[in-house]
Amino acid sequence: MILQLKDLFKWVNSGGQRIFLLNDIDFTVNEGEFISIMGPSGSGKTTLLNVIGMLDNFNEGEYTFLEESVHTLKEKHRAKLYKEYIGFVFQSYHLIDELTVYENIETPLLYKNYKSSERKAMVADMLDRFNIVGKKELFPSQLSGGQQQLVGIARALVSNPKLILADEPTGNLNSTQSEEIMELFKTLNRQGVTIIQVTHSESNAAYGSRTLHLKDGVIVNTH
Amino acid sequence: MIQNYFKIAWRNLIRNKGYSVINIGGLAVGMAVAIIIGLWIYGEISFNKSFKNHDRIAQVMQHHTINDIRETWKALPPIMGKGLEENFGDYFEYIVQSSWNSNYSLRFDDKVFVRRGNFFQPNVIEMLNLNLLTGSNNGLKDLNSIMLSESVSEEIFGEKNPMGKILIFDNNINLKVAGIYKDVPENSAFKSLNIILPWSLFLALNPEIESKTNPWNDGSYIQTYVKLAKNVGFEDVSKKIKDIRYNKGNKLVKSYKPEIFLHPMSKWYLYDDFKNGINIGGRIDKIRWFGFIGMFILALACINFINLNTARSEKRAKEVGIRKAIGSNRRQLIAQFFVESILISFIAFATASIMVVLTLPYFNNLVESRISMLSDSPLFWITCIVGSLIIGLMAGFYPALYLSSFRAVNAIKGTFKGRQTESIPRQVLVISQFTISIVLIIGAMIVSLQINYATNRPVGYSKNGLISISTTKETHNNIDAIRSNLIGSRTIIDMAEASEVITEEWNGYGGWSWEGMNSNLLPDFKFGNVNYDYGKTIGWKIKEGRDFSRNFTSGSTQFILNESAVEYMNLKNPIGKTIKSGNDKAVIVGIVEDLIIESPYEKVKPTIFHLSKGQGSVFLLRLNPTKSIKESLSKVEQVFKNYNPLLPFNAYFVDDEFEKKFRNEKLLGKLVNLFAIIAILISCLGLFGLASFAAEQRTKEIGIRKVVGASIFKLWILLSKEFVGLVVLSIIIASPIAYYLMSNWLNDYTYRTDLSFSVFLISGLGALFITLLTVSYQSIKTASANPIKSLKTE
Repeated sequence: MILQLKDLFKWVNSGGQRIFLLNDIDFTVNEGEFISIMGPSGSGKTTLLNVIGMLDNFNEGEYTFLEESVHTLKEKHRAKLYKEYIGFVFQSYHLIDELTVYENIETPLLYKNYKSSERKAMVADMLDRFNIVGKKELFPSQLSGGQQQLVGIARALVSNPKLILADEPTGNLNSTQSEEIMELFKTLNRQGVTIIQVTHSESNAAYGSRTLHLKDGVIVNTH
Repeated sequence: MIQNYFKIAWRNLIRNKGYSVINIGGLAVGMAVAIIIGLWIYGEISFNKSFKNHDRIAQVMQHHTINDIRETWKALPPIMGKGLEENFGDYFEYIVQSSWNSNYSLRFDDKVFVRRGNFFQPNVIEMLNLNLLTGSNNGLKDLNSIMLSESVSEEIFGEKNPMGKILIFDNNINLKVAGIYKDVPENSAFKSLNIILPWSLFLALNPEIESKTNPWNDGSYIQTYVKLAKNVGFEDVSKKIKDIRYNKGNKLVKSYKPEIFLHPMSKWYLYDDFKNGINIGGRIDKIRWFGFIGMFILALACINFINLNTARSEKRAKEVGIRKAIGSNRRQLIAQFFVESILISFIAFATASIMVVLTLPYFNNLVESRISMLSDSPLFWITCIVGSLIIGLMAGFYPALYLSSFRAVNAIKGTFKGRQTESIPRQVLVISQFTISIVLIIGAMIVSLQINYATNRPVGYSKNGLISISTTKETHNNIDAIRSNLIGSRTIIDMAEASEVITEEWNGYGGWSWEGMNSNLLPDFKFGNVNYDYGKTIGWKIKEGRDFSRNFTSGSTQFILNESAVEYMNLKNPIGKTIKSGNDKAVIVGIVEDLIIESPYEKVKPTIFHLSKGQGSVFLLRLNPTKSIKESLSKVEQVFKNYNPLLPFNAYFVDDEFEKKFRNEKLLGKLVNLFAIIAILISCLGLFGLASFAAEQRTKEIGIRKVVGASIFKLWILLSKEFVGLVVLSIIIASPIAYYLMSNWLNDYTYRTDLSFSVFLISGLGALFITLLTVSYQSIKTASANPIKSLKTE
């Protein structure tokens, strides 16, 4: 088991009413799973992903990540935890415009205080693996969407996380590019990386081992 | 890591060129101003510090009270030196008396040199630690000796060995060169000590000094310096010697209540102002003021930096979000933003250094200063580098905390929008910028109004074409021949002689009495000797009675008084009244309109013009306006040279000399103007940046408004409104501050301009106009853009 959510609630107060963004979520993820989260707009998919990624808080319930109870941890500890074990992939790639491909991939390693020689080796490995060595000196604006997302995934993977959280990773891509990215995820999953993705598309969800349907913050079914 | 920060910072600067130019340019101008002011202050506070014993040397001075006004001055009776020595000798290592610094003529072969210097007691060499190049410390013991500064010696003797050479002093006394000392540094009280004459010669030239029965009743006309002995302080010694003159003087001396005290050398230059017997500062005030102005201008530049950075926050929010998501903690982000601001600060400093080097000559020229860059002083560079670091940290502090506080989720989701309250600190900062700028603008206007006001004050005589030339025995004795020659050749209209220079402070005399005089009054008049032609030459205006005239010869002494004197004496019908001084009597023959001789900002002092044929100190000549000045001057020179062929000829234009009275105020005016312009420039630069960001952020809103039918004019108002509001608020805050400060400043002047409402109105409107100009470029550009384009970006 990599993580477990138990009786988890998240809400906002609006005009004296409590609006539930996440409503009584019970959900366990085991190591090696590839989970897709689906649901209509505003159903709480991204919120759930952010809660799992510890970027967002929740109001009630329990969250255990690798034996640590996240809800009792201090902000600092939590950040340490997700930095160590989680990689993020975003719909709009979210690369840093001022950095080259190489530097973008290198950045997480800088924050984890790897030595320069180690960083070089790890980034080179990623560039190799994703076949983007030739583009390492380019800036994000010089790349196509698919290429940018490749860099985004490389950046998420470079520090060997246990879990990848992907928020509509192919939302901005055309179908060919989408397929490539999903194939990549599948390969990664086979190599042992646990993946949770949020998606709108049934075909993308089909790559996963399990699909979670959300509606108005409630898990309506799993299959 | 730090390398990575620098890389990012640098790429950010390159990418946003306009922003970088505004940011670095503004900061650089602010720093350049701060550096120049800093250099100037450094020069001012290092004044007199070149003397090794500067913390042990003092001038003996005196407070005294006349008609309830406590005055302070440096002049003391000659006995003071001996008196201190005999009664308090243990407190002093040296007691050195001196004459006033003045011009003396020295002849070598057939060349005459006029140089400034003092008569000094011999210990001056040791007291001031003058660096003797040749000669001994005892050189000045001999009555017929003289010491020269190195540069004067070179001018007179060139390469030749000056020691033992004979110079003819004042055309009749032989002095042997007994020593050469290195020139006294420019920024010191003794910078004009080009020659030192022996005290024994001073006594020989003024034999009355030694023949006084009670020398403590003698007048005050020499200066006394001391170097303290070890283990005593200025304050303690001042207390001890306070009553020395009071105790030893007669009733008249006691009536002035003289209090003797020590004024330490370290305070001579910066704390030179006494009011009612209390040291109230002096130049130090100016230093404080400009120190403040420098800091304020630097603050303005820092505010730009802070504002532009936080205004850009929506742009940077995304980056912050990503960095947080991929593992950066807040501390690392803060470090990154600090690196960025420090980088900007150092680039600005480099730019500022170049600006300073390029503008210093102009600045020196403008304010008649001699500031230099101190580029070989490590202290200068260390100060600047540490300063830049601090500025970088301070300016980066708020943006770093603010930007790093964004939550990753919001930033990434793109839902980050500046909070409603987010712009409040920015608005406060803009208001403080404009408040400072407007205070400076109002200040600059009031200073120039005051200068105008005083310049336009009627002086009571005509300065045009009036020149003054020093007298000599030869020219005095031949004044009639000179006058008729020059009038005959139509070179001049008239010529007169007087004991006092018409643009300088006159001697004061007491001891007068008259009919109906208030017995409590200790009369104090300005007094000058003038000859028959004085009034006609300077063109004074007779109010009552008559001018001095050869047609009215009378046995008695004749006085003309100014109006202030009549008022001071409380005389009803002054003409024909007599004024007594001891056994001497004088009759008042005329009253003239007040002449402005001393400060154009003060009340004119009661003045007595005494008709005299004795030798004065100056001739006044009214040039013939129909002839060219150059021609007239060379004719005058030619005539004067007939009588003093060896003396250099110097003529001073009275209007130029009068102009010098405004020097301090004009200087202040120029500086305040300059700084006001820079302040408003920096503020507008920042405002321009903010307006650009605001316009950029509201592009979509403007597009929508346009589509639904807003006119460009309406949009212009919409976009400019906020900034105009801020500036109006600044005007409201700045006006009372400026009013308070400037009425304080004006209070130092008796004759002063009013603080009229229009000054505030004009400054306010001016600031508004500049603001509109600044923000309108962006507003109109945004407002007139095609809405299709702006809406398509969504």
